[in-house]
Amino acid sequence: MLSRAARSLYRLGFLIERTENIARILDVNSRMSVEQEAFSELDVWSPILEITHNREGFEEHFGEVSAAGVVRLLLADTENPYSVRACIIEAREIARTAREMLSEELWLHINLFYLQTEHELSGGDLHRWKDFSEKVHLFCNAFHGLMQNTMVRGDAWQFMRMGVALERAQMTQRILQIKYHLLLPSSSDVGSALDMHQWQALLRSVSGYEAYRRLYKAKIEPAKVVKLLLLNPGFPRSVHFGIREVSLALREIGMCNEDQFQLYRDTEQFLDDLRGGAAGEEIISMGLFNYLQSVDSRCHLLGMQIHKAFFDTITVSLEDDRERCFTIQINQQQQANGAVGIRDTSNDQFTTSGRQELSA
Amino acid sequence: MFDRSDAAPFDEAFEPYGQVRPEYSAAIDYFSRQGVEGIEHMHQSADLAMLNQGVTFTVYSDSRGTEKIFPFDLMPRLITAAEWDHIERGIIQRVTAMNMFLEDIYHEQKILRSGLIPPSQILGSSLYCREMTGLNPIGGVHVHISGIDLIRNQDGEFMVLEDNLRCPSGVSYVIENRLVSSRIMPDLLGSYRVRPVSQYPQMLYEAMNSFSQSRDSTIAVLTPGVYNSAYFEHTFLASQMGAELVEGPDLLVNNDKLYMKTTRGLKRIDVLYLRLDTDYIDPLVFRPDSLLGVPGLMHVYRAGNVTLANAPGNGVADDKSLYAYTPDIIRFYLGEEPILPIVPTYLGSRPDDLAYMLNHLPELVIKPTDASGGYGLVVGSHASKQELAECAANLKANPDHYVAQPIQQLSTHPSFVEQDGKQAFCSRHIDLRPFAICGADGDVKVLSGGLTRVALKRGSLVVNSSQGGGSKDTWVLYPNKSPVQTGDSHA
Repeated sequence: MLSRAARSLYRLGFLIERTENIARILDVNSRMSVEQEAFSELDVWSPILEITHNREGFEEHFGEVSAAGVVRLLLADTENPYSVRACIIEAREIARTAREMLSEELWLHINLFYLQTEHELSGGDLHRWKDFSEKVHLFCNAFHGLMQNTMVRGDAWQFMRMGVALERAQMTQRILQIKYHLLLPSSSDVGSALDMHQWQALLRSVSGYEAYRRLYKAKIEPAKVVKLLLLNPGFPRSVHFGIREVSLALREIGMCNEDQFQLYRDTEQFLDDLRGGAAGEEIISMGLFNYLQSVDSRCHLLGMQIHKAFFDTITVSLEDDRERCFTIQINQQQQANGAVGIRDTSNDQFTTSGRQELSA
Repeated sequence: MFDRSDAAPFDEAFEPYGQVRPEYSAAIDYFSRQGVEGIEHMHQSADLAMLNQGVTFTVYSDSRGTEKIFPFDLMPRLITAAEWDHIERGIIQRVTAMNMFLEDIYHEQKILRSGLIPPSQILGSSLYCREMTGLNPIGGVHVHISGIDLIRNQDGEFMVLEDNLRCPSGVSYVIENRLVSSRIMPDLLGSYRVRPVSQYPQMLYEAMNSFSQSRDSTIAVLTPGVYNSAYFEHTFLASQMGAELVEGPDLLVNNDKLYMKTTRGLKRIDVLYLRLDTDYIDPLVFRPDSLLGVPGLMHVYRAGNVTLANAPGNGVADDKSLYAYTPDIIRFYLGEEPILPIVPTYLGSRPDDLAYMLNHLPELVIKPTDASGGYGLVVGSHASKQELAECAANLKANPDHYVAQPIQQLSTHPSFVEQDGKQAFCSRHIDLRPFAICGADGDVKVLSGGLTRVALKRGSLVVNSSQGGGSKDTWVLYPNKSPVQTGDSHA
C-alpha cells in the first residue's frame, strides 16, 4: 500500500489508542484521588502532567496544578497533542484523507464522534467531563469492534493494528509510572491501605481488575500487578500482548528490505525478553522505574524503526546494463516550502508531530 | 405549500396556468401530504445524513478551508424518457465531436485550414497545450470524462450552457443524493420507475481499464489533496472504483514509467485519473512551482506508458470563448446538425460583438473566459450601476477575456426554502449536468441521471455550489409500460 496511506493508518490507530488512554489516565487519577483526604495530602495531578509531557507548559498556562486545569488540558485543549480533543480532530482529519481505505462504518463512527466532541467541548463547560470520558471509552471500544468486524485483514488493517498495539504498550507502562510517581514521596507506605487502594484503582483503569482477580485471587500484590500489566501474554493491555501484536502485524505486512527485517528481528527480540524475562518480584527489586524506562525506550525505538522502514524510505529495484538486479533504499522526498495551492499544511504538521512523538 | 410567484416562463413541475405536469402529480401529492412539518423533518434528516457521512465540500474562504454540506433540496427533478433520449443523443454527439476536434487540433488542424475557426482562437489561446501536439492518446480519446451543463429556456428546450472537459466534478453528489432520497422518501422513489445511478463507478472503472495494456492494471486517482473543494469526490471515486487515491508526492517517474511509492517498493501505474488542472501536473513542463504534480509525468505520457484521463490540453476546447464555435465543430466533424443548441454568444475578441456587448450590458451575462465556478460572472440585470461600469471598463481593457450571452430565463423548479418568514416550495432556477464517459473504443456513455443544481437565493441565476447553490436528486424515468431494467443504465 502507499507509504503515505500506511503512515496515515498507523497514525490513526495510534491516535485512537492515545485518546482512550488519556481518558483512562484521567479516570485512574480521579479514582485515586477519591478518598485521598482520608489518607494523606497526595498530589495526584502532578504525575499525570509528567506522563503526558505537560508539566512545564501547565504552570505557564494555568498556574497552580488543579484538577480542573488538568482536565481542561487533557480533554479540551486543542493545542496540546496529549488532549482528547486534539487527538480526535487529527484522527478525523486523517480518516478523511484515508477514507477510501476505511470501511464506511468506521468512517461514519469517527466522523460522528468528531462532530459530537466538537459540539460538547467547544462550549468550554467541563462540569460533566466524567460523562464525556465514558463516551470516549465507548467510542474507542466501538472503534476496535468495527475495525474487527468490518475491515478486510489487509495492509490497511495491519498498519492500524500496529499503531494501536505500540501505543497501548507504551501507555500501559506509563500508567504504571503514575503509580511509581505517586509512591515516590513516601515509599514507606508500601502495603498500606492507601497503597492497596491505589493499586486497585490502577487495575481498574486498564480494565484489569477482574482479570487480576481471576488469575491471582483476592490479595493484590504489587509484583503480581506488574506481572499482569507487563508480562502476561493473554491480557490485552499488557506490554507483552502489544509487542506480540506488532510482531504479528509485521509478519502479515511482509518484509522486503533490510530495515523491515531489522525491525522484525528487534521486535522478536523484545518479545523474547518479555516471554522469558524477569518475574514480577525481580522487576520490582531491580527497580520498577528502571525497568519501565527500558520498556519505554524500546517502544520508542520500535516506533522510529517503523517510520524508517515503512514510511520515510522507499525501496527501488534497479537493473544495471548487464541486467543485474539490485535493490536500494532511498529517502522519501520531503515537501519543500512554498508549495502551490493550499495542500500541504496537514502533511507537514503531521510529520512534525510524528517526530516530536519519537524524540520525546 | 407551493408558491409559484417566482416561476419562470417554463417551470418543470407546473404548466404556465398552474396545472401540475402529469409526471409531477405523484410527487406534488406526496409532498402535500407530508405537510410543512413533515418536510422540515425530512430536510433535517437529509442534512444530518450528509454531515455525518462527511459529504462536504471546502470553500476557500480562509487558509484552512471551511467544510460545508452541499445543500440538498428534497423535491426531486424528474426527466421523462423522451426528454432523456434527446439529451443523451445530444451529449453523445457533442462529446464525440469534441474528441475529434481535440485530436485534430493537436495533429493535422484540418478545422483551422478550413477557415471555420480563426487559428488565433486556438493557437493563440493560453489553454492550447503545445506539449500535446503529435501525441496519440489511445483510441484518439482526449475527453474520457465530461460534464456538459444544460439549461432549459423559456420554451422548455434544453440548451448547452457550458462544456466541462477537464475535471468536471459533482458526480459523487448524484450518487449520494440518490442514497439520501432512498433513505428519506423510499415510498416516493419506489412509486416512480427511476433509472439507477449507482453503476457510475463501475462504468468509470471499465472505461479506465479499457485504456490499459496490461490485464492487471493499476488505476489511480490523482488529487491535489484534502483541502481541494472536491476532495470528498476524489476519495469517493477512488474507493468506489477500487483505485488508489494518490497525491503528487506519492508518485515517481523512473525510466519513462510512472510508479507509486508503496511499503513494498515501487508499483507501476497504468491509468491516472487526473483531478487537477493541466497546469499543475508536471513542474518540468508546466508550472515549475507546482508541487501537486509529478516531475516527468509528461515524459511518461509521451512514451505511451500511462494513460492520462482526461488528456492534458482539453482546456482549449471547453474555453468559454470557443463555445460560440461548437455548433460548427459538430457540423464539421460529424456532418450533422447539433441536437442540443447553444445559447447565442458574443465574443469580446470580435469588434462587432464587443460593441454590442458594451451597448447591451444590462441584458447580458458577462463571463470571464478563464474562470469557472461562477467566479467573476456578472449578470447584467442584477448588477448595480457601479458594477456595470466596472464591468465595461474591464471589457474595454481586456476584450479577449470576456464573452457575453443574453440572460437566459432558466427554467424553475419547486424547491423547499424559507421565504417571507415561512417555509414552502418556491420556484427556483435550475440547470442540469449529465456526466459522460468515453472508453478506448470511442463509445460515449451517459450516466442516466445527472446533477441538478438549484440557485436557492430568490431570483438568482447562479447555481454554483460556491455561490450559494444547492442540488437536487435527478430522476430519469424509464419509458412507460416497458419492463424495468435494473443494473444497466442504457437499454
